[in-house]
Amino acid sequence: MEIWFNYLAQILVFAILAVSLNLLLGYAGQVSVAHAAFAAVGGYGMGYLVQERQWSYLPAVIAGVALAFLAGMIVALPALKLSVEYLILLTLAVSSVIIGVFVAFKQLGGTYGLIKISNKQLFGFHLDRKVDWILPIGIGLVAVFAACWRIGESPYGRVLKGIREDPLATQAMGKNVFAYKVSVFAITSAMAGFGGALYSGVLGLATPGLYGFNFSLTIFAVVIFGGMANLWGSVFGAVIIVLLDPFLQRVIKLKADKAFVIQLIIYGVALTILMRVRPQGLFPEGSSIWRRLRHGKAEGARIEMGADTWVPDTHISIREGDHEPTHGEQGEREARWQAAPVVLQARGISKSFGGIVAAEDLDIDLRKGTITALVGPNGAGKTTVFNLLTGFIRPDRGSVVLNGSELVGRTPDAVARMGLVRSFQDVRLIQRVTCLTNVMLAVQRQPGEHLPTLFVPGGRTARGEEATREQAMGWLRFVGMADFADVPAGALSYGQSKLLSLARALATEADVLLLDEPASGIDTKWVDTMLDLIEAVREQGRTVCIVEHNLHVVGRLADHTYFMELGRITAQGTIDELTGSERLAEAYFGT
Amino acid sequence: MFARFDATTVAQLTANGVFRGAAYGLLGVGFALILGVTGRFHFAYSFTYTLAAYLAFTLRFRGPKLPFWIAAFVAIVLSAVVGIVIERFIYRPLARRAGATALLAVFVAALGIGIAGQSMIALFWGQATQAYYGPTKKAWALGSTRFENFDVWQTVSALALVLILTGLLRFTGLGRAIKATRVNPELATIIGINANLIYLVCFGIGTFLAGVSAFWYGLQFTVEPNMGQRPVIFAFVVAFLAGTARSPLRVFFTGIAVALVEQWASIWLSVRWTQTAVFVILVGYLVSLSMRGRKLSEIFTFLRPAVSSPPSTPASSAAGS
Repeated sequence: MEIWFNYLAQILVFAILAVSLNLLLGYAGQVSVAHAAFAAVGGYGMGYLVQERQWSYLPAVIAGVALAFLAGMIVALPALKLSVEYLILLTLAVSSVIIGVFVAFKQLGGTYGLIKISNKQLFGFHLDRKVDWILPIGIGLVAVFAACWRIGESPYGRVLKGIREDPLATQAMGKNVFAYKVSVFAITSAMAGFGGALYSGVLGLATPGLYGFNFSLTIFAVVIFGGMANLWGSVFGAVIIVLLDPFLQRVIKLKADKAFVIQLIIYGVALTILMRVRPQGLFPEGSSIWRRLRHGKAEGARIEMGADTWVPDTHISIREGDHEPTHGEQGEREARWQAAPVVLQARGISKSFGGIVAAEDLDIDLRKGTITALVGPNGAGKTTVFNLLTGFIRPDRGSVVLNGSELVGRTPDAVARMGLVRSFQDVRLIQRVTCLTNVMLAVQRQPGEHLPTLFVPGGRTARGEEATREQAMGWLRFVGMADFADVPAGALSYGQSKLLSLARALATEADVLLLDEPASGIDTKWVDTMLDLIEAVREQGRTVCIVEHNLHVVGRLADHTYFMELGRITAQGTIDELTGSERLAEAYFGT
Repeated sequence: MFARFDATTVAQLTANGVFRGAAYGLLGVGFALILGVTGRFHFAYSFTYTLAAYLAFTLRFRGPKLPFWIAAFVAIVLSAVVGIVIERFIYRPLARRAGATALLAVFVAALGIGIAGQSMIALFWGQATQAYYGPTKKAWALGSTRFENFDVWQTVSALALVLILTGLLRFTGLGRAIKATRVNPELATIIGINANLIYLVCFGIGTFLAGVSAFWYGLQFTVEPNMGQRPVIFAFVVAFLAGTARSPLRVFFTGIAVALVEQWASIWLSVRWTQTAVFVILVGYLVSLSMRGRKLSEIFTFLRPAVSSPPSTPASSAAGS
């Protein structure tokens, strides 16, 4: 019997590690192969305190968890800007270093490790036999699972998914990507440390071999196998991977050493085949065993995607037909622009890449309740201007002042939170989540985005989430996309995704919106809708700046137009004035 | 602890470093070629490495009993074929299907192949080490510095192969096609380069280099199922430290530098710390990389500029040359 309790304890520990790694890997998309090393920090920390310092078990576990938390935080700091392959390498190196450090210390038993972690008690109960451990580890698993579930399915988890899919777009919506990455890394490391402290407790040892690189790979494989961002899958994966050993030894009657080799072959082949036939894992994200049992196969509310007939179902009044302003109207608008207060003032913005001057001495004013357009030939640096204003690229010189505050030197997310939000030319939606979730992600100041708030009773998170949903639905309705709330953003047509990206930008409630080619590539039948939407935004008193190639669009929307060539602003005024100039027309159209 | 700090020891450690570094360097060159051009995080590199040594052993002492050098050559070529097969029938379809998440999918599959491959070797040939021998091992000396004839041959052959590869990349049409594919596969396809074929070529060359390294390792030490793990981790380290888009020579000398650091570290540090020292350097390097942030795209040419489209910098185009 003892052996089966051993397997059960192992399953529970593996599940703790896999579930916590899944939060990091599946939700946040941070590929770490150092999870076992953080478990080692917890296991060794607890083991040293119990074996060498005669601490009692519970405080030693807490200390081990705290150590793992710190270690995770320190590792996460450089992980900030690393791409996937560098993160894999960094975590690989870190796990070598951590184990290497443990081996190098005599106090930690050197290459043998700590092998006499005994006298473990919890609240007066002696934990001598394996069976005594099942309850405490089981409770540990429930706690870790509940915490990961709460975090993963909260607004905080939504931001994690955003970071996984597109960190830049997430940052552009005002989320402090750095803080999220560091906190999720530290928290999951602490959970791994907790798992390690339990594992070393039940085994009575903490050795370099136990927490070697292969252990990290096993946990990694469990997560991939069970399905990323599906916590139940990770538990299931842990069961399978642990029980494979007794299955081969007892059912197929293989010798222990041979069973071990066969087991590894099965893991390896299964992983490879899985990537080929079911890369999302056995239980894909969002799938639930319970839901399937109750409703049979999931019948997602499919919407007829016929882009030919679909038109945005917006409630703003659409003006039919041609209504480009006359010359006189343009003059009035220009006068209105000149009279409006300046909201954003950029002065002397310059940036060069190596020897190439991308922007030189740019002065730009955006004025309240008006639409300013930025036009110019391809490669003039229009999108670069957006990058410079919003902090994605730091100018070499110059200042950008928004409502009296300097923006240069601030991170893009800080800029967005201060009320300057940009959309992307290539849209950059979060493809694998629904349209509603995309817009909800953009809503600012959600209580559920702060980890501590998630674990405070009183329903603040739930109420905040309800309000966020309301707001997001409102903006979806505003752009006429309410019917698509539950459709994954990746399924939209290009034009629809432009509408969604407008809704997302609006949902930030930013004062100033920089829209990068809002009307390009959308169905001609509803270009008018898009333009009316942008005009409606102006009516709300927001300040808009557009980059646009279509001069009809510019003519209809713009109150004031800047003309850019080769990184310089060479003219400004009404669009007719600009197109009236022979030289500019030549620069723009080429002759 | 400083007692060991004398000229004889330093000379010996330097010689050890150069010899061992040649092996790291050669492995690093192969891995950098694969990762830099194809973007596949080829964790199964350790499998083809080990396989080459086992095939050389088998062709010599079991089955066909080929002459030593022929057996070794055939084995290394066969391992290269396995590398090509992995790319063609596993990575390529996977990457095509996974799209944007190709890197992770390929990494996981490579992990699977690595684990399964090593275990299959253990299953077929047994867990025990195999005695692999051929030409007579001779002890040579230069002053008080001692080494073996194999050390020298291994280093010379590694350097020769790296020089050949450098020449190939610099002076032949194939080399130019490889570099073009490294900078931008889509664009290379447009100008008539068969990028898929180039990927296969890179897997072939990279795996071949690893096979040569494995052959020498087997001859000098032992042939065993997990012989590939450590050397290949060092290959990753070397490739990343040098930059995967850099010239093979640079990667090779980075390998020697890493091994020298590892050897010299033992003057000041106890042996327990020396292997950790290399990883500490790597972590330090990655930390400095992340602090500089934007420079990443210059080292990894297959990473597209992250923000919509800042004009390509002269530095990033220079990295491909």
